[in-house]
Amino acid sequence: MNKRSADALALPRSLLVAATLATAFAAPHALAGTTPAPANAYAYIGFPNDGQTVPAGKPFRVWFGLRFMGVAPRGVKFPNTGHHHLLIDVDLPPMDQEIPSDRNHLHYGAGETETMIELPPGKHTLQLLMGDDKHIPHNPPVYSRKITIYVK
Amino acid sequence: MLRRTVLGALASLAALAADSSFSAARARTPAPPNAEAYIIWPPDGAVITGGKLWVRMGLRNMGVCPKGVDLPNVGHHHLLVDTDLPPLDQEIPSDRNHLHYGAGETDARLELPPGKHTLQLLMGDYNHVPHDPPVYSKKITIIVK
Repeated sequence: MNKRSADALALPRSLLVAATLATAFAAPHALAGTTPAPANAYAYIGFPNDGQTVPAGKPFRVWFGLRFMGVAPRGVKFPNTGHHHLLIDVDLPPMDQEIPSDRNHLHYGAGETETMIELPPGKHTLQLLMGDDKHIPHNPPVYSRKITIYVK
Repeated sequence: MLRRTVLGALASLAALAADSSFSAARARTPAPPNAEAYIIWPPDGAVITGGKLWVRMGLRNMGVCPKGVDLPNVGHHHLLVDTDLPPLDQEIPSDRNHLHYGAGETDARLELPPGKHTLQLLMGDYNHVPHDPPVYSKKITIIVK
């Protein structure tokens, strides 16, 4: 047991709960992976635009934008690069762990800079998150604003 | 006997190489036949005030990868400014007219003097040599005011 958790155990219960909650809420932003990213690097979704409506029943293109940083496929360790992950209808995952790979977390490990996706009718969110050669977010993490789109 | 065969094979290879239009070529990296580079922004004919702009470099059916990394179906962007396509079987020149994005960049910051300018993308492999088939965009014209 490390010193920090030993200290936490010694705290009164209410404080412990508060501390746990604070840690839980702070975790996604306070932690990061070990691969450095340029401080001014950022990702953005070039298309669709925030609030845009796209037609249902057919795929639409999503453009992955990245500034002050480069793209490299998974497994490639090159300074100031990473690969895109598209988060659909989900919040940012923990920033110090491998980004999940499922329907809500699409990986573009071949260095893709755009994709075609099809979503069911309704309201959806899209957000980009860069991962390093091992799919772990950078330090500081590089992600886009989360946008909302409507499929009609 | 063996020696003669080898010499013969070398001679025919040399003849082939001399015949080919790619005689100076090193082995070129294959690209997916449907790969396509294109300039997302600015649009053809755009008028840019001030001359400072971000060029957004688009790529379909292929991936971006920094220079020096030999992986299938990837390359890095080169932005040709005010010039035609260079020889497609040689390393892309590196100068003011041929900007290299060997760190895997997909957005390029440019500053251009007033006037008419052309922009065109050309993908290079890990050695900065265009692929086979070469992957390049349409050449667009922009006006800087």
